[in-house]
Amino acid sequence: MAAAISIRGISRRFGDHLALCPVDLEIASGAFVAFIGPSGCGKTTLLRIVADLEAPSTGTVMIGADTAADARRQRKLGLVSQRPAVLPWMSAEADVRFTQRVAGRAGFRPLDLLRDFGLAPHAHKRPAALSGGMLQRVNIASAIAHDPEVLLMDEPFSALDEMKREELGAWFAAELASRPKTVLFVTHHIDEAALLADRLVVFSPGPGRVMEVIEVAAPRPRGADFRQDPRFLAATARARALLFGHGLAA
Amino acid sequence: MSGETLTGLVVRPAPRLRLAPVLRVLAPIASILALWYLAIWFSGLPAFVIPRPERVVATLIEDRSFITVHLIATLEAAGLGLTFANLAGIGLAVLFDVLPWSRPALLPAAITLRNMPYVALVTVLMLAFGDTLGSKVTVVALAGFFPVLVNTMEGLRAADPVMLDRMRILNASWARTFWSVRLPYAFPHILSAQEIAASGAIIVAISAEWMISSTGLGYIINRAMQTYRGDQVYAVALLATFLSFLIYTLVHQIGRRLDWRARGSDRV
Repeated sequence: MAAAISIRGISRRFGDHLALCPVDLEIASGAFVAFIGPSGCGKTTLLRIVADLEAPSTGTVMIGADTAADARRQRKLGLVSQRPAVLPWMSAEADVRFTQRVAGRAGFRPLDLLRDFGLAPHAHKRPAALSGGMLQRVNIASAIAHDPEVLLMDEPFSALDEMKREELGAWFAAELASRPKTVLFVTHHIDEAALLADRLVVFSPGPGRVMEVIEVAAPRPRGADFRQDPRFLAATARARALLFGHGLAA
Repeated sequence: MSGETLTGLVVRPAPRLRLAPVLRVLAPIASILALWYLAIWFSGLPAFVIPRPERVVATLIEDRSFITVHLIATLEAAGLGLTFANLAGIGLAVLFDVLPWSRPALLPAAITLRNMPYVALVTVLMLAFGDTLGSKVTVVALAGFFPVLVNTMEGLRAADPVMLDRMRILNASWARTFWSVRLPYAFPHILSAQEIAASGAIIVAISAEWMISSTGLGYIINRAMQTYRGDQVYAVALLATFLSFLIYTLVHQIGRRLDWRARGSDRV
């Protein structure tokens, strides 16, 4: 299951400080959209507003036919944080089951999920016994265990080293093919965004706003050779031009 | 150690390792005894002020039935007091969490109670309730609830924010988040408060008994002082010190077993 997301006139103001100028964005059901930009550009704020973890100053978010708050209450959302949101005293399997118990939705069968995520031999291990890459897989498994329609990901692979990041990105793209979701993916990594996403929403800071939406019109999942594809090169070149012409100079 | 049978050339650190735990017990006892005897010889004080260690141990054995009765009274006051200290400390911390406005209303009173000298508290309780178990338990509870309160408050703030986001995205109820996430995160903090509160409970119970009571180890000290039985004072002091140490160690060990932070990859 996957739901379309409609972001209409969403802005966020903290006192006098405008953190995010009004944003309009239509995201099709099953699409993979990356939010990219430097720190303080409002990309995480927008993600948290869609997640109904923060309230917008103006505008509405619709997920399918529901508001963001209703979608959250109906457990239609899944959240993947940069730092794994797992309970230190629970094994991987117990943590996945915990999501289902709290959500009150059976979703995927825990052992199938862990097996598909390459975690079968580690199902009984607690977080302290897992490597960073494995822990992030557990984190994602726990986030989608209740089979949400929308997956909201806040720099999920940023804490990993470059090789692990690429490995996990490729794995996740393939995994998504068998469990389609609408994905919002916050990152500050241009190649990662262009490799994974259908669209790159490029943000600039001070105040946070959307500069441009770049399409990457190629079917997913994409292999490593997509890095030589003209569509990848065009998208990353455009993103670099936007980001380095703007954000870093300021 | 199996290497020993193969060749005499194998380095054998085993005998030294086996000696270490014995030394760790014997060394403090030896140093305390040495200081004790030195104090007797150099101070020249009479035996009822500073009795010899063997006399104190003999008193502990001779008066064991008398001491046991009062030991039980002290343990009862300390145990009940600690229980109420925990009920009040944890209860207040949870109340502050559920009803944020109750914190500015009640926390200043809690801090005032904590800073009030126990001597004054004991005196007031004595005037109000007399020499009763209730008075002693109240003093112990009042002296012990504050560390529990402060640690529980800190513990309830210790939950990982990303975990709280996860609970919110799953639309978990306040109670579910509290029982499944926040309380377990607070648990190690509450346990470490027990190390302070439990050994403190014994000391406060004995002090209260010393002042107002006709039962308990504190009473024995008081009576022994008036009858020039220095040996009894030392016997009770030794017992109380051992007791405090024992409770601290016990709580510490239980805490280590229950603390999720200490464990790695155990099964569910």
